Formats: sequence, structure tokens, C-alpha cells
Amino acid sequence: MIAQLALSVLLAAILLYAWTEYRRSPAVALLSVLAATAGLYFVWFPAHSTWLAELVGIGRGVDLILYTWVCISLLVLLNLHLKLRTQMELVTILARKAALAEALSAAARPRESGDPDREF
Amino acid sequence: MDPVSPADVCVVIAAHNEAAAIARVVFGAKRAGYSALVVDDGSGDATAEIARAAGAAVVKHPFNLGQGAALQTGIEYALAGDAQIIVTFDADGQHRVSDISRLTDALVREHADFALGSRFLGQAPNLPPLRRLLLKAATAFTRLTTGLQLTDTHNGLRVMTRRGAAAIRLRQNRMAHASEFLVQIASSGLPCVERPCTIEYTAYSLAKGQRVRDAVLILLDLFARRLYR
Repeated sequence: MIAQLALSVLLAAILLYAWTEYRRSPAVALLSVLAATAGLYFVWFPAHSTWLAELVGIGRGVDLILYTWVCISLLVLLNLHLKLRTQMELVTILARKAALAEALSAAARPRESGDPDREF
Repeated sequence: MDPVSPADVCVVIAAHNEAAAIARVVFGAKRAGYSALVVDDGSGDATAEIARAAGAAVVKHPFNLGQGAALQTGIEYALAGDAQIIVTFDADGQHRVSDISRLTDALVREHADFALGSRFLGQAPNLPPLRRLLLKAATAFTRLTTGLQLTDTHNGLRVMTRRGAAAIRLRQNRMAHASEFLVQIASSGLPCVERPCTIEYTAYSLAKGQRVRDAVLILLDLFARRLYR
């Protein structure tokens, strides 16, 4: 019972995480919800997991739960990767703004001093 | 559209560690009367200084972001100025400056907003067979995903009007920008034409070019970009 409660809290946390991520990455959020819901179900109805595991050829129900957990971990990793990509896009915008501001102000200086050779 | 004067054309050259080739590329563009803009993408060598000495305007990224990011920076810089026509041009010297006027003429004649170079309509001496195969596969993939009936989808020689350039907002920093460019052209609905160009492969440009592994990374980048907003 204690293990069931602990796992339920962890899986509920995954559900909450998926909900907060839905706006940014719907595909990952939906897959996480699916995996976490399946995990919750099997935690409380382990006999069903054995039945389903046998049906899909995994063998033991506990292995099915383990595989579900691996799926969740991979999805969280994928989400982390996507978050890093988003951060990189923001860094790019910032770096571009800095580079453009520097170049445009450098280009404006000769113009202000009457230099006709300024490029665009 | 009025005939294009070379003075209205800004050639955007994204460069990363191209100290050995950049001067020749900038001189070529300047000799033809175009403005040259080099976006130095965090080079560790003297690319920026050499480009500036050769007469180009230079925008310098504080660190390496990738060719797609550098091209977007160049496009934004050109749009901030008074360039009427914006050209993207490779820094390794494999494009011919003479092809730019062929593409700008096509823009005027066809009332298009984008004119893209095609090595498969033109010439590509010394193109290795494996790379040819890779480019053909990329072309088939892009035709399928964008609906644009192009013959060469990973060609860095592109000419666009201000309106066309304003419709481009590259978010793929690295090599996948070439496919993203075409996706954005297709979704802009602006007219696009393709014209022959020549790409001269040298040992230098081949060493800098894409490999099979890059094709896999491009596919992964394109896929990952679809997973988030």
C-alpha cells in the first residue's frame, strides 16, 4: 500500500508536469499523460497489468510497469531536449539583437560624420 | 517590378572560419556593383577583419549560432537598410557572382518574390556521386513536404525581394534552415521561380560541405521543431 501511494504521488506529479507543458509541447504532454495514466492504472490494478503483459507478450505485469516507467523517463528527456531548443532560440534572438545593434550603430557613425560609403 | 540596379542588391554571406575564401567572394560581389554583407558567425579566425578590409559591411555574432541563424541576421540587417533585393550567397566561393544577375532578371521578368538557383538545371562540376544522391533525396523530400516543384532544394544561392525577405523568419539555426526556407516560401504564397546556376566544387568547399550524417541531423531537427511551439 505504501509503495502504491508513493508511486501514485510520483505519477500524479508527472500528470501535473504534462499539464503545465501542454501549451508549449502538446505532443509530448499528451504522450506523458497517456503513459502516466497507464502507470497509475497498473499501480492500483496490478492484476490487469499481468493480464495485459501476457496479452502483448511481455510476460510479467511488473515488467510492463517498468517499461511504462522507462517510456515516461524518455518522454521527460525528450521534453527537456525541446526545452533546451527553445532556450537556444531565445539565446539566438538575443545574440542577433546584440550583433545587429552593434553593427547598425557602427554603420550609422560614418553616416553621421558625413561618410557616403556606408553600406546599407 | 522595375529593373534591378546592382546598387539595390545586398549580398548576404554567412561565414564561419572562412578567412581563406571570404576576400575573393566579397571582391567578386563588390566588383559587380553589389553591396556585400558578411555575417561572421563567431569565427575563431580573421574572417570579419578580412571581409571588412575587402569592403563588406560586417555583422558579428558573439558566438557560433549556425548558418541559418547567420542568414536570418543578414536578412534582418539588409531589411533595416534600403536594399531592394537580398541575395544569400555561400562564403566558400562555390557560387558564381554572374548567376546573381540571372536570378534578379528572373525576379523582374516573372514578377516573382523569390528566385532560387539550381545546380541541376545548371552545372555542378566535380559534384561527388554520393552528395548528388543525397541532394536528390532531399529534393524529393522537400517537394513532398512543401509542394514546391523545385529541382535543387539545398542551394544557398537565393534572390528575394524585400517583400519576400520579410516573409522569412528562420528558426532553424543549423543546416535544416534550407528546408525551413522553402517551407516558409511555400506558406507565404509568394511567387517563386528557379533558374540554372553553377556550383563549383573544390577541395575547400567539399571539406566544408554537408555529409550523410548531416542529412540525418537535418531530418531530426525538422522533426523536433514540429514538437513544440
